Amino acid sequence: MRWSPGRGQTRLRFDDRMPDAHRSLSQLTRRGFVATLAAPVLYAGCRQGRPYDSRRFTVPSRSAVGLFPASSYAVDFADLISRGLRELGVHLAGRRVFLKPNMVEYERDTAINTHPSVVVGAAVACRRAGAAEVVVGEGPGHRRDIEYLLAATGLNDQLREERIRFVDLNHDDVRMTPLASSFTNQTALALPVELLKADFVISMPKLKTHHWAGLTCSMKNLFGTVPGAVYGWPKNVLHLYGIPNSIVDLTATVRPHLAIVDAVTAMEGDGPIMGRPRALGFVAMGTDPVAVDATCARVIGLNPDRIDYLHQAAEFLGVIDAGRIDQRGEPVSRYATRFEVIAELEYLRQQT
Amino acid sequence: MKTPDSGRIRSSLRDALLESRSHDGTWPYVSGKQGRLEPTCWALLALGRADGRGPDLEALKGWRRRDNWLIDVDGAPPNQAFNGFAGVTCLAQPHGRDLIAPLAARVIEAKGARFPSSDVIRLDASLQAWSWVDGTASWVEPTAWCLLFLKKYVKFAPAPVAAERISVGERLLLDRACVDGGWNYGNTKVFGKDLWPYVPTTALALMAMQDRRMEPVIQQSLAQLEKDVASERSMSALALTIICLRVFGIPQGQVQRDLYALVERNQTQWRDNLLGVAMALYALEPGQGADAFAL
Repeated sequence: MRWSPGRGQTRLRFDDRMPDAHRSLSQLTRRGFVATLAAPVLYAGCRQGRPYDSRRFTVPSRSAVGLFPASSYAVDFADLISRGLRELGVHLAGRRVFLKPNMVEYERDTAINTHPSVVVGAAVACRRAGAAEVVVGEGPGHRRDIEYLLAATGLNDQLREERIRFVDLNHDDVRMTPLASSFTNQTALALPVELLKADFVISMPKLKTHHWAGLTCSMKNLFGTVPGAVYGWPKNVLHLYGIPNSIVDLTATVRPHLAIVDAVTAMEGDGPIMGRPRALGFVAMGTDPVAVDATCARVIGLNPDRIDYLHQAAEFLGVIDAGRIDQRGEPVSRYATRFEVIAELEYLRQQT
Repeated sequence: MKTPDSGRIRSSLRDALLESRSHDGTWPYVSGKQGRLEPTCWALLALGRADGRGPDLEALKGWRRRDNWLIDVDGAPPNQAFNGFAGVTCLAQPHGRDLIAPLAARVIEAKGARFPSSDVIRLDASLQAWSWVDGTASWVEPTAWCLLFLKKYVKFAPAPVAAERISVGERLLLDRACVDGGWNYGNTKVFGKDLWPYVPTTALALMAMQDRRMEPVIQQSLAQLEKDVASERSMSALALTIICLRVFGIPQGQVQRDLYALVERNQTQWRDNLLGVAMALYALEPGQGADAFAL
């Protein structure tokens, strides 16, 4: 069967990607710029066959996603997340758990990073659930200086208080790892050994709009697993391979077992760094990261089918169809709102 | 404020580095892990400065290579930034010059990929300086390391083709400076918003531009560095600032005191941050002779 390119790829014609002499390069828009970065890979990617082995993936017939109320960061997140684990039927006894929060930058009074209270609450909940080991790790894509980020965000103090180990994924040992899908047209990527050693990976993003990808949630969060000391800051190879393609290949390869999304205070507008904080008041959880991200997209007024990487992932990784997502905790309607997005992303609101 | 016992702290940093050396003479980022190029270079420089003999380059002599690049991770593309830094490390020893002629040729030849200009990212996309890995765009840190390396290299091995690369590297750093001075990873304005600089990248870019100190951007960035270092604190940020101020001939007293206090407070975390330990030792060691980062 011929591979049908994802939504973003069908919108790209070769002429759009290669500006001609009559078109000023300075006129390239966001879409054009992203497309140009991805052009060589997308062109090569238009080949026979799916960019994944369908025998290795099973899309669940239904997926459960829980939205659990958290009005502020003062709530007991260990209790809240323990409840989520129970409602989702997650068993962690004896597991080696790796928590991957989202840390990018630090600026006071912003909502850039997963809140330390949510991260540490999740770690405590995993321990209570019988996890053999809980490790927290992140590899920020802009700032190399993890010591500064950990101190400035307050995560360092909270982790030390609970005696939880932190791993800097940018500087960990790495192993060349075969990619489980090839939307990027790549076969392998160096990934951190500490992540690969884990037998239960939890993606813990901050819910944000993202000016390139549309949405930062549990799948986009996996960019932080790619080691900067190998690929640099920013992780430009992922841009070159195509951001949606890279998100899908990373998700297919890392296969996070659970997503825990910090949507207590999210970010709207020009995310993932320069946007505005926006109180939402919940933590989202689910074992299907595609379904979790699709649900969070709906909450903030975006159509998941319009987000390239969700559209691609729905082919083989998870569920985006609302009719196949079982809601736990609170209904989407309780939190449904309309986030501001940059003008170039307004199309993400449109129904398909 | 209690005066730090500077000699004892430096001695402890030195001991920590020696204890964390791998059996093959290299250093990892985290104790007990695999030896890597960047922490090895920093450790060699720091221990060489502490011992007064300059870096012992044996570990770099035997480093695995491919097409004259020093390979940090088998199977991964060569890291151009750390190769530039390795060149700087080798040049800290007179006999190190013999080691790096092939590497210098590689660095001169390497060029960041060219991408079209964009109306959403403000930068001069025509400037192809140095990227982290081949085939990607030019960024601040690899450009700063390769630029510093070539500026030192041409002092004893004039290479006309290097002059052009140095010029492009300088133009890129000037182009990528943030609006109020300083540098981050390499973007200054995205979707109309000015991005802020970071202390470590600012210090590094300034070192690479130390011979252009009269440029307004350099003066502005020095001022920005001295302002930001008061709030953006880590062992690597403070250490790089000290080294930077030292090569510019600017007193570093307060930053040194801050770094002594920080390294003492962070002692339980040294094993997880050998890069910071090595940078701190290099920065705090009074040393003799020329600084490896000075032109």
